[in-house]
Amino acid sequence: MKTILVVDDDTNVRQMMVDELTEEGYRVLSTGNAQDALKIVESDPSLDLVVLDIRMPGMDGLEALPRILGMKEHLKVILHTAYSIYKESFMSWAADAYIVKSADLTELKEKIRELLGT
Amino acid sequence: MDRWEKVCTIIMAGGRGERLFPLTRDKAKPAITFGGIYRIIDFTLSNCLNSGIRRIYVLTQYGSLSLDLHLRLHWNLMRPEFGEYLYSVPPQQITTNRWYRGTADSIYQNLFLLEQERPEHVLILSGDHVYKMDYGDLLDFHLAKNADLTVATVIVPREEGRAFGILHTAADGEVVEFLEKPKDPPPMPGHPDLALASMGVYVFKAPVLVQEVIQDAKNPASKHDFGMNIIPQMVGRKRVFAFPFGDPATGTPRYWRDIGQLDAYFAAHQDLLGENPVFDLFSGDWPIRGALSLLPPAKFFGREGQVTVTDSLISAGCVLQEARVVRSVLSPGVRVARGAQVEEAVLWDGVRVGVEARIRRAVIEEGVHIPPRFTIGYNPEADARHFTVTPGGVVVVPSNVVLEAP
Repeated sequence: MKTILVVDDDTNVRQMMVDELTEEGYRVLSTGNAQDALKIVESDPSLDLVVLDIRMPGMDGLEALPRILGMKEHLKVILHTAYSIYKESFMSWAADAYIVKSADLTELKEKIRELLGT
Repeated sequence: MDRWEKVCTIIMAGGRGERLFPLTRDKAKPAITFGGIYRIIDFTLSNCLNSGIRRIYVLTQYGSLSLDLHLRLHWNLMRPEFGEYLYSVPPQQITTNRWYRGTADSIYQNLFLLEQERPEHVLILSGDHVYKMDYGDLLDFHLAKNADLTVATVIVPREEGRAFGILHTAADGEVVEFLEKPKDPPPMPGHPDLALASMGVYVFKAPVLVQEVIQDAKNPASKHDFGMNIIPQMVGRKRVFAFPFGDPATGTPRYWRDIGQLDAYFAAHQDLLGENPVFDLFSGDWPIRGALSLLPPAKFFGREGQVTVTDSLISAGCVLQEARVVRSVLSPGVRVARGAQVEEAVLWDGVRVGVEARIRRAVIEEGVHIPPRFTIGYNPEADARHFTVTPGGVVVVPSNVVLEAP
């Protein structure tokens, strides 16, 4: 079973993703801030993919991304944000995908399936 | 508008320089003394200055203290209030706790610099080459070709191309193939006896560079090196062009040396000497900025006709007393005592050569005291017992030795 970490400071959005991805058959971990996400990435070797929000209090997703890849450079990361403007940022290019948030998680789920080969 | 406005310049200066041991045992290769009053990086920095570049990052890593001090003491001339800078950047280790795995990784780990600057193009230079080059010509070529990457190349005889990374180009300069040390180097278009060798000097479109180094960072098989990985992977997939550093009409090459080995270091010094040297520090049109010094002028004294200096460069503060100095380069503050002979030698700052000592084909690091009547370069077996002797027979005396009088 593939393991996904969902990082999003919006409790409702996070819970929706956890529920839907669990239904898809993944083991899903979640946290509301990037600092905790880094601890999980460091300590959980079973992790296969991270869904990372960008705008979060404290450390944002673009700061967290190079740190995540600095620890596990082959870990798949999807940036998942309400804003398309960060696509311009060089820092965002290190992610495997960039998906603009929507109430419908179809695009996100498809990208996860593609990246994990599930 | 300033042609460099949209360009970010990065000098790679972190290499360990193992083949230059012992000169690099305590400092980065670009910080090694060269030509009396220079450090090797001064040539690249002077090229930048003469080309009109006023914003430079120097990526340091191994043995950076000596290099850092040199930049602070002698290159503190950019004016931040005009947007100019020369920043020395050691590995930040914020996003990862590893050092640079290669030249491409050093860019990957510093993507935040490019994010801050948002340049359109990135000029990547090496801090360990000796040459005079107007990078403006390279940039103009890159822009005219609308290239994703332009690789500056030195024109070499085709036979010698076996020792280099060779670029096989079409007539318009587009690179069709990159060959590392090929047995049968492809010729430069229009010149069957010449070939184009990569100089390790590149201009990238910034977004392409970012994409390529990110992709490379995730490739576990990569050595994360521009020459070995990035360039070969881009050829055929992106617009890669070769810029010939030389006269494109006649194929006449221009001077360029990679100071990669001790013999190359020694030979490049010989290139500085004579009335019309191969590489002329006195040409005036392209000033090379070296270490500033408050030392008095060089002083030669003794009986008339007893001090002989031929084909040599003697820096400020040197004192020569009835000595013979031939085809040598003396850094500031070297003292050569009565009856001593210095032949084909490179003496770093403050070396003292004792009475009637003899030195031949040697590089002597700063502050070494050669005792009276001591000889270096005359007895290969004795030299090899105490010092590094290169395949070319050059003796290298490191600064930390204490020599005893014979």
